[in-house]
Formats: sequence, C-alpha cells, structure tokens
Amino acid sequence: MDAVSVRNLTMKFDEFTAVRDVSFDVARGEFVTLLGPSGCGKTTLLNLISGFLQPTSGTIEIEGKNVIGVPPEQRNTAMCFQSYALFPHLTVADNLQFGLKQKKLPHAERKARLSDVASKIGLGPQLAKLPNQLSGGQQQRVALGRALVMRPNVILFDEPLSNLDAKLRESVRLEIRAIQREYKLAAIYVTHDQGEALAMSDRILIMKDGRIQQSGRPDRIYKAPESSFVADFIGGANILDATVIGQVGEKNWRLDTKMGELTAQSDTPPVAKELKICWRAEKAQFGSGDLNTVTADIAHRSFQGNYTDLFFTVDGALQRVQLGEEAGELSASITFHIRPEDIIFLEAIK
Amino acid sequence: MTWRSWLKIGLLLAPGLGLILIFIGSVVYIAIAQSFGYYNLAGESGFSLEYWAIMFDRATYSRAISYSLYVGTASAFLAVAFAYPLAIWLRRPFSGSLMISAILKAPLLVHGLVAAFLYINIISYHGILNQLMQWLGIWDGPHRLQNDRNAVGVLILQTWKNMPFALLLLAGAVQSISDDVLDAAADLGAGPWDRFRRVIAPLSVSATQAALVIIFIGALADFSFQVIAGPVNKQSLSQLMVFFKGYGRWNDAAVVAVTLMGLAIVGSGVLAVFSRFVMRGGRLK
Repeated sequence: MDAVSVRNLTMKFDEFTAVRDVSFDVARGEFVTLLGPSGCGKTTLLNLISGFLQPTSGTIEIEGKNVIGVPPEQRNTAMCFQSYALFPHLTVADNLQFGLKQKKLPHAERKARLSDVASKIGLGPQLAKLPNQLSGGQQQRVALGRALVMRPNVILFDEPLSNLDAKLRESVRLEIRAIQREYKLAAIYVTHDQGEALAMSDRILIMKDGRIQQSGRPDRIYKAPESSFVADFIGGANILDATVIGQVGEKNWRLDTKMGELTAQSDTPPVAKELKICWRAEKAQFGSGDLNTVTADIAHRSFQGNYTDLFFTVDGALQRVQLGEEAGELSASITFHIRPEDIIFLEAIK
Repeated sequence: MTWRSWLKIGLLLAPGLGLILIFIGSVVYIAIAQSFGYYNLAGESGFSLEYWAIMFDRATYSRAISYSLYVGTASAFLAVAFAYPLAIWLRRPFSGSLMISAILKAPLLVHGLVAAFLYINIISYHGILNQLMQWLGIWDGPHRLQNDRNAVGVLILQTWKNMPFALLLLAGAVQSISDDVLDAAADLGAGPWDRFRRVIAPLSVSATQAALVIIFIGALADFSFQVIAGPVNKQSLSQLMVFFKGYGRWNDAAVVAVTLMGLAIVGSGVLAVFSRFVMRGGRLK
C-alpha cells in the first residue's frame, strides 16, 4: 500500500484552476519532490494533502484511507512550513511537544520523544530558548523536529530551506534526507530550486500550470527531458528548433538547425519532422569533432569557479557552453562539438 | 552633560511630562490631600483621618465599592467575551467584512448618554420591547424593565458601548497571528478550541489585558449609564462622589475619589495578572 495516493485531483479558486487532474503515488520511505516555478500549483497540492484546502474534485488516500473532508488535525501528516511557523510564545521544548500534548501522550513518552528528537536535530542546549532567540538554521531544525516528533505517516515540506543562506541550505538538506531515511518516512517536498530537487529526491514531479509535466528519477529527468519546459527548468538546457532532414542508420537523424546541420542519436524516433531539440551546456566538447562541430562568437562569459559559462547567440537566443580551464585560453570565438547521443529530441513545434 | 544638554532634555520632556505632572498630578494631589482634611473649603484645614474613618462606617460606601467593582469587572469581561469571537471571525477579510467591521464599531460614535436614553426608550414600560413581547403573545402585560436591581441594563449598555473598543484592540492582535502558525497548530492536531486556547489566546494576551483594564477603569467610574439605567437602590462610587460634592462635602467626595483611583489601580493589576495567567494556560511567564 502506498503512503499517499492522489487521484485526479483538481482545485479551482473561482475561475482559476490551480491544480488540474493530478495523479501520483508516494511509497513508504520515498522522498518525492514537487518542482516547478512560482504559481505552478505545487504548494496548493501540498495544502490539499495536508488538509488546509479541500479539492474541487479527486481523491487523496493516506495509508489507504480516503481523507477528503478530514480536517488537518485528524490527518496523520506533519508539515514543515516555509516560514517555519514556530509558536513564538513557546520555548523550543514546548514547540517540539505541542503535537504530543495534543495527542495526550503520557509524560514519560513525551519526554523520551523530546530528548530523542532534540539530540537528532542537535538542539539539546536550546530547549529552553524562545524561537526569536534562535538563528534561521536552528529555527528550521525546530520546525523539522516538531514534525518528526509526531512520527507521522507522511511528512510534507513547503520550501523549508528558502530562507536559509546557500551554505546552511546544503547542510540542512543533507540532515533532512538522513532523518527521512532513518525514520523511513514518506516525504513530499515542495521547491522551486532544481538543485535541491536533484540532490534530495528519489523521484521528482515537475509541475507547470497545475499539471505534472514529467515525473521520474532525478538523473532520468535530467538526461531525458520530455519537453522544452522540463529541459530548461532542470539544468537550463540549450533549446533549438530543428527540422528532420534524414535518417542515417537505425538511430541517427540528420537535423537542420540555426546552429547548422547536426546529427542526433536516439533510441526513439523524433515525434515530428519539425521539433524542438536540446543539449546540455556541459556536454559541449572543446575543439572540432567528427560530427556537430560548431564555431561561434563569444557574446558573454561568466566565471563560476570550477567552470566557465560561455554564451553565444543563435537566431537571437542565447546558447551556453560550459568549459573548464580551457575557457581561459579563448578570446573572441569558440569551436566545440556535441556528441550525437547528447542531443535530445523534445516535443513537436506547434 | 552640560547645563545646555540638561535644558534641552528638560524642554523636550516638558510637553509630555509637564502635562502629567501639572494637570494630572495636581488633581491627584488635591484629591488625596482633601481626603486627609487639607484644602477644606467649608471648615478648618489640617491632617485628619476622620473623613476616612466615617466613610468606612457607612454602608452606602461599601455597597458602592462592591457595586462599582461588579459593574467594572463584569462589563470588562462581557465586552471582551463578545469581541473575541468577532475578532477571530473577521481575522481574514471576506466579502462584506469591512462593512460588518464598520457597523460593529458604530457604538464608538454614539455618546454614552444618548445610548442610555435610546436604551431606556426601548425597554420602558410602554416601549418597543414591551409592545413586541405582548404582540408576540409572550407577555400578558407590560413588564417593568427599567432600572433593574441587578444592573443588567447598565451591563448591556457598558458591553454595547465598550465591545467595539475591545474589538479594535483584539482584531489587531488576532490579525497579526500568521496563518502559518494557526495552520501549524491544526497540523499538529489542534482543533478550533485548542487553537484558540493554545495559540490565539496566549498571542493576544497583551491586547486582552489592555482591553480589560481600560474598559474596567471606565466602567468602574460609570456615572451616566448608572444615573439613567442603573438600579435605584444602589449607588456607584461616581454617583456617591457627586452626591457628596452636591452637598459641598468636598472632603468626603475626595475620599470616594481616592477610593475610585485606588480601586482602578489595584483592580487593573489584578485583572492584568489574572487574564495573563488564564490566557497563557496557567503560566505568567
């Protein structure tokens, strides 16, 4: 039985449809991320699962029980809020025990769970402090601990790291994942940060306009995006319009593009004669190759530390090549090639 | 600091501190001094505990204290009790909420005396309420509702007049509680009552204290509602003070005035501590 099962879920706010006919499952112990730009419906979907909103249609099952119409306080879910939503008048210990007192657990069990979670999240010395006496990272940990101490079937995260600085975000990200694995929790994590989604998830659901555009393992989504939206949203791929002008052998296709003639290799044939294709910036190979060699004028360069982004224009649109130390030797133009297997077919051009 | 700095600070503080010290301080001083026999306008002046001693022996004085405390405390609690659910209901804006909020605050614009006369018109022997009850067949004949013994009329008027003020304070406090905090409480298993008890009440305790204290002080010293709608067999402290002053007994009036001020201070403190204790779930910190 899945921990969460969502079927044909739709949520309308008057004329606006925030979530459209969404279906997916989350297994026990699985970490699923809802990824998408602002306004794509991911937080609404999370609020529907937690019970803060009631859907217009569709069903949600938690541990096999239909929870439509069940208020949040009666659902076995726990939420980590973007704003942390700590109770400002209660100490860290009281914040952590809020739900346990609500459940009327015996004092001894409350104490045991409190000390267990406090040591896990490293907040033992802070238990007597009020939330406003803690740093952002510590407040985030309290929010996480407050959810974990409930030992819910499902834990929900609503962009919990968005208020933290980059360094802290990385360490808390690892902590969240480790604790989720240890407790074998089903986790649904909402973010608009593709790096966070790729690093943490067992599975990513990419959302746009209230619909799931693509779902799958992070590496699969990165390597094989099915649409230009997904390709661009995950990793910022270079996207081009292409026309199929011929097939070479079983898996190779010749394409006419604004970047010149390219050869792509794919197990699946292109979906249309006129279609979009993409290639990743880091897949560009410095220098000429047997196929797909491109020479372009560098329009802009952006040093990123261990690599450099070089930008050039194709038909008015910026394309990006990612190179290592060799980028430093380049001045006005660049010659690179793309391996045919690194060119990905996307959707047909409408 | 140089004398110029001291002068500058003194001048800056003068409008605020000066007002308190000169206008309020002098009045308080005169009242206290008169209650101890000084500034006697009808006889010899000098320190005396006589006025206090005589007053403590008067039954009307002790009745006026308990009656005024009753009106002050009950009015404060009733106004806050009615205002709280309204503040929570109006926390999130909805269609028409602004209009409802404005209507609820309308009593702030009606003077107390006017409100009392309107109320008397409604409940008088041949007033609208009596006529309505008879027309509905609930009462056989008119009932005497005016100047009732338990001061229900005064409490209704006090609550009606003060509830909007409490609503003003509580609405601000309740609106400042974020949706996420209340959602978090619900997510952790708190139903509507527990959300109020464990989150809303403790987070709005300061506003509640302010509303209770300010309404208590006003209602404790009520004169206009008491004179028009209050029971005829009981006097409030204000009434008693005016009674003594009417007979030129300024020192007796001063004793009642000092009592009123003392009760206001002590009562406010007790109410503030009590409300904090109750609304923070049995804790003061």
